[in-house]
Amino acid sequence: MDLLGIILWPLKWAVELLLVAFHWLFSNMGLGYNDGITWVLSIVGLVIVVRAALIPIFVRQIKSQRKMLEVAPQLKKIQDKYKGKKDQFSRESMSRETMELYKRTGTNPLSSCLPLLLQMPIFFALFSVLNDAQHLKAGVGPLDVDRAQSFGNASLFGQAPLSESFASQWTLMMAGNPYSVAVMVIAAVMVVLMTASQFITQLQIVSKNMSPETKASPMFKQQRIMLYLLPLVFAFSGVAFPLGVMFYWLTSNIWTMVQQFIVIRNMPTPGSEAAKAREERLARKGKLVAKDGDIIIVEEPKKPAQRQQPVGKNRSKKQPGPKK
Amino acid sequence: MAVNRVIATIVLFPRNMGVLLLRAYRAVISPLYGDVCRYYPSCSAYTLGAVQEHGLVIGSALGARRLARCHPWAEGGVDDVPLKRTRRYRVTSFGFVVAPSHGKG
Repeated sequence: MDLLGIILWPLKWAVELLLVAFHWLFSNMGLGYNDGITWVLSIVGLVIVVRAALIPIFVRQIKSQRKMLEVAPQLKKIQDKYKGKKDQFSRESMSRETMELYKRTGTNPLSSCLPLLLQMPIFFALFSVLNDAQHLKAGVGPLDVDRAQSFGNASLFGQAPLSESFASQWTLMMAGNPYSVAVMVIAAVMVVLMTASQFITQLQIVSKNMSPETKASPMFKQQRIMLYLLPLVFAFSGVAFPLGVMFYWLTSNIWTMVQQFIVIRNMPTPGSEAAKAREERLARKGKLVAKDGDIIIVEEPKKPAQRQQPVGKNRSKKQPGPKK
Repeated sequence: MAVNRVIATIVLFPRNMGVLLLRAYRAVISPLYGDVCRYYPSCSAYTLGAVQEHGLVIGSALGARRLARCHPWAEGGVDDVPLKRTRRYRVTSFGFVVAPSHGKG
């Protein structure tokens, strides 16, 4: 076994266990043992378990975002200090001070790349399980030969095998061999759906759940780039990956979209469009409790500009540059 | 001396390959994530710095250790690459590590 195989082994085992468990459940509930839909639903079940396990991380992230409200004045101080300074050194010290502030106050709103990285091996494990099944090999654990063959041969609507990809059918078509139009159509539809769900997710965040401060930050620009880059990634993977793997990704995307919707509705970022909407909604129902006061604090009229740091006579003479 | 420069280039080759790889990662893949790291510098920037400072093997190990430390429950904050006591090389604006221009290897 190669190194990657060793790393993926436990994940493949877990993925197989979940797939087999859901497959057992659905086939006993009346769906066909070898049907494509049964296996697709098993993949959907896998996504739900994985994403549900990631919820605590997500909630934690949101909570620290809320807590950031308390340090907003200090954050503003740092931002004002470096306002208009675009050189690398200033940007660096600004990031440094911001990070130090987060650490000191325990309000780090970032969640590290682990939640993202965690999904990737699961994705590859599924890819590898499906690949093995396609060659009618048994999996590393719970997926025995019988089930592997069922999985490998499963096809949607009886004509779109889950283990085939757009690219594989394209190759067949170019070589003049019989190929499945259904696989190509389904793959194309899924790319469109994935792009659409991604756009909706991002649009919800950008249009409703961002405070004006965030919209002005460089991070926002980066997210915009991502908005246009991801459809390309989807299109590429939609061509290369087998349908079964694409179903994992699509379901995961839809989960993200719904999760985002719920969060924006029920715990919006203070100071954002969605927070105002929520306040109005609650006020209409007469449920605006004092606890929501923190939202109102943000809307307070801006205080007069930051007090200028006292500068000694000597220093003020030495630095004739534009003072901020 | 020319010989020293050749030796330095050979010695520094592995870490410069690492630098190239990390630069490519930071240009292509990092933007997909957006800003997510709980530390400053971010994990990839830290690894880049570590490889420049300590070479490919130790640098990668330092980077791996940082990645292991960076999770949603970590405190985060500023966490710089440990610097060597004597720094013999120069870093170009791209990030390649080269022998200092006055010819000392």
